[in-house]
Amino acid sequence: MIKVEHLYKGFDGVQVLKDISVEYEAGKCNMIIGASGSGKTVLLKNLIGLMTPDSGEISYGDMKMSQMTDKEKKLLRQKIGILFQGSALFDFATVIENVMFPMEFFTDWSPAQRRERAQFCLEKVNVIGSDKKFPNELSGGMQKRVGIARAIALNPQFLFCDEPNSGLDPYTSILIDQLISDLTKEFNMTTVVNTHDMNSILEIGDKIGFIHQGTLLWQGDKNSILSTDCKELRTFVCANTLARNIIEGK
Amino acid sequence: MIKKFLVSIGSYVLFLKNVFRKPEKWKIFWRQLIIESDKLILSSIILVGVISLFIGGVLVIQTASNLENPIIDKMYIGYMVRESLILEFCSTMVALILAGKMGSNIASEIGSMRITEQIDAMDMMGVNSAGFLVLPKVVATTILSPLLMLLSLALGLVGGWVVVNATQIIPPPSYITGIKAFWNGFYVFYSCFKMSLFCFMISSIAAFNGYYAKGGSLGVGRSSTKAIVITSILILLADLIVTQLMLY
Repeated sequence: MIKVEHLYKGFDGVQVLKDISVEYEAGKCNMIIGASGSGKTVLLKNLIGLMTPDSGEISYGDMKMSQMTDKEKKLLRQKIGILFQGSALFDFATVIENVMFPMEFFTDWSPAQRRERAQFCLEKVNVIGSDKKFPNELSGGMQKRVGIARAIALNPQFLFCDEPNSGLDPYTSILIDQLISDLTKEFNMTTVVNTHDMNSILEIGDKIGFIHQGTLLWQGDKNSILSTDCKELRTFVCANTLARNIIEGK
Repeated sequence: MIKKFLVSIGSYVLFLKNVFRKPEKWKIFWRQLIIESDKLILSSIILVGVISLFIGGVLVIQTASNLENPIIDKMYIGYMVRESLILEFCSTMVALILAGKMGSNIASEIGSMRITEQIDAMDMMGVNSAGFLVLPKVVATTILSPLLMLLSLALGLVGGWVVVNATQIIPPPSYITGIKAFWNGFYVFYSCFKMSLFCFMISSIAAFNGYYAKGGSLGVGRSSTKAIVITSILILLADLIVTQLMLY
């Protein structure tokens, strides 16, 4: 479980996150949603340690991030898998080498064992027969899948996905969403997904937090989001035709 | 501006501190070192070789045209060509050329990785990205660059010999006698040392600029240009200081 308490973060006098408190549970797809510029990515970057909060606390289980030593942070990072918006696959490595990369650094497995684990991860995300291809030879959807395979390579307890559907067609988006949801449940990971895609939210949002202008305005799940009274959230939700039709009973 | 300069110096020192941290796994470091040696040093051989051949030939013609006095032995032309090559051309001029080739290669490669979040991905895995990406480049260029200097010297002398034979501008035996005359091994050491220092500056400064690139593809281009300009100026400055310290 990840716990965020009274998190504040600002840049050059502009407060981007204001008093965010939220808990992300294991085995669930926890969604951070909101319009562009609302502070979702800043929250995600604080969660994964790429940014340091101005005040407030983030805890992974019993461990508070602000009190962790560098060594402890490094150990924690090995329990975290991240899918970046642009996949962030290493250009210099093939598909299988990308997936084996974290294993090379943090396990004592033999090359055969690493290859076997990488094959397993690639099969999980349904990437077969592309081991020797380089990232630039793959489609956007395939890159996302390989990104997920790399993220789960070390069997992480925590999985973070930043806009997993950006740049993908609706069908591939649903497949990626389903993959994230299935892996979360199968490996009982604490998954945090940063998105503004209503289809994803309605598809896999076990727990949803809506951020508006840096403030966490609403928390709920995919069932309660359509009946919300929160005006800002309704505006956000109704921008999606399907959701608007459901709300309006069409 | 002074504050910005001091901040840059501080950031560079902290960056180097990360670069020179003990590698997570030596096996990975050695593998990367071989890859970078091939990519940065071996791939520069042809460029350095071609330039050295031509410069050697040009130096012979220029020196001969300036020493047409009949009382000066023609072997001094060979001697002066050799000294020019050792003392300045094979280290400083070659380093300036490499600043363009290696510097832009390193800065753009690392800069592209920065803007596509590949470096963030490494950091988030707990990998020391600066160490993994930069240390093998710095070690490869610093240790192996003297070999480029020696190659440049050899090919420069060959270039001169070819021109001497082709044009008979001076008798070939005089050229051979000249390039063997008054040999001072310290000059070769001095030139190798300069080359190592310059290549350390090229790789580390280019990597530093790429590592902190921001602003998309334009930012990568800017960081690459900045790396080459800064490195070129610093090479000339370091040349002056090292020469003063080592030769006087």
